[in-house]
Amino acid sequence: MSGGHWILVLTLAVAAFSIRLIGLVAGDRIRSSRHAWLLDDLPGLIVVSLVAASLAGQPFQTWVAAAVALAVAVLTNHVIATMCIGVLAYAGLAWAGG
Amino acid sequence: MKQGAIAIVPLAAGAALYGFAFGLLAAQVGFPWWGVGLMSASVHAGSSQIVAVEQFSGASGVLGAALAGAALNLRYVGIIASLSEILAGLSLRAKLLAIHITGDENWALTMAERARTPNVGASFLIGSGVVMIGVWTISTTAGAIVGAVLPDLEKFGLGFAFTAAFIAMARGLWRGRVVALPWLVAFGATVTVVSLGLPRAYAIVVGAACGLIASCAVRRFGRGAA
Repeated sequence: MSGGHWILVLTLAVAAFSIRLIGLVAGDRIRSSRHAWLLDDLPGLIVVSLVAASLAGQPFQTWVAAAVALAVAVLTNHVIATMCIGVLAYAGLAWAGG
Repeated sequence: MKQGAIAIVPLAAGAALYGFAFGLLAAQVGFPWWGVGLMSASVHAGSSQIVAVEQFSGASGVLGAALAGAALNLRYVGIIASLSEILAGLSLRAKLLAIHITGDENWALTMAERARTPNVGASFLIGSGVVMIGVWTISTTAGAIVGAVLPDLEKFGLGFAFTAAFIAMARGLWRGRVVALPWLVAFGATVTVVSLGLPRAYAIVVGAACGLIASCAVRRFGRGAA
């Protein structure tokens, strides 16, 4: 494991525990503050931005596979089903495209 | 404690599948199996881990990957805050253990059981949490061991599994029409920034920031219209 891997694991571990600790110490105060909506909105916005960043500049078939994955996610709300069918759709479209 | 440990088993089985898939992906982008196990035991946050690993394997630096992963964990401020009554009376050491092993599944199960049976409390949360973190660590490690001996699956579209996982996460975070416009703005801004040739890590930050501005506007406009 490289130095980068170690730093990532340690930084993420410290950040994850710190967030939980903030919840323990000051969670009630934060939730009743006027900025509480940031906690609700930021995770979804980051995930949507991640989806957009992974699709931007990709060929049409990747967008079609993403649409298939989105349909599965909407219908099932199941992570594994979405991943499996999404990857199958992507592989199938890539195979069909040549 | 035993009651919580038994009650969480069906949810743990589902998490094991997800954990195995995450471990496989992490190994394919260069994480050793023991590094995946260490991350799972010390971070214990599935969506954060998958985002951080994907960002780390791409163009993002370590800090960017860690921040993107950590930002997904912000919901735990509210989750842990909701446990204040359950954790009251525990020693500091027990509280610190309890908050580390609290995940979405055992928190939701504990709250649901407590709503039906008020004497369900910290021991149920800790029992179910110990099973969850154990299953998560073992399943992700097992996935990484298998992923390390498999050939490069990128050509079969395994890289798209990250995108599909993000789409599934977005579905789970969908809170109705109130988030539609901010999400569209975030999506559009991110695609635009990537199309301009800027690094994807910056595009994600710009996209999320634009989404927050849109969200703020929606709240203000909504309040004004009400």
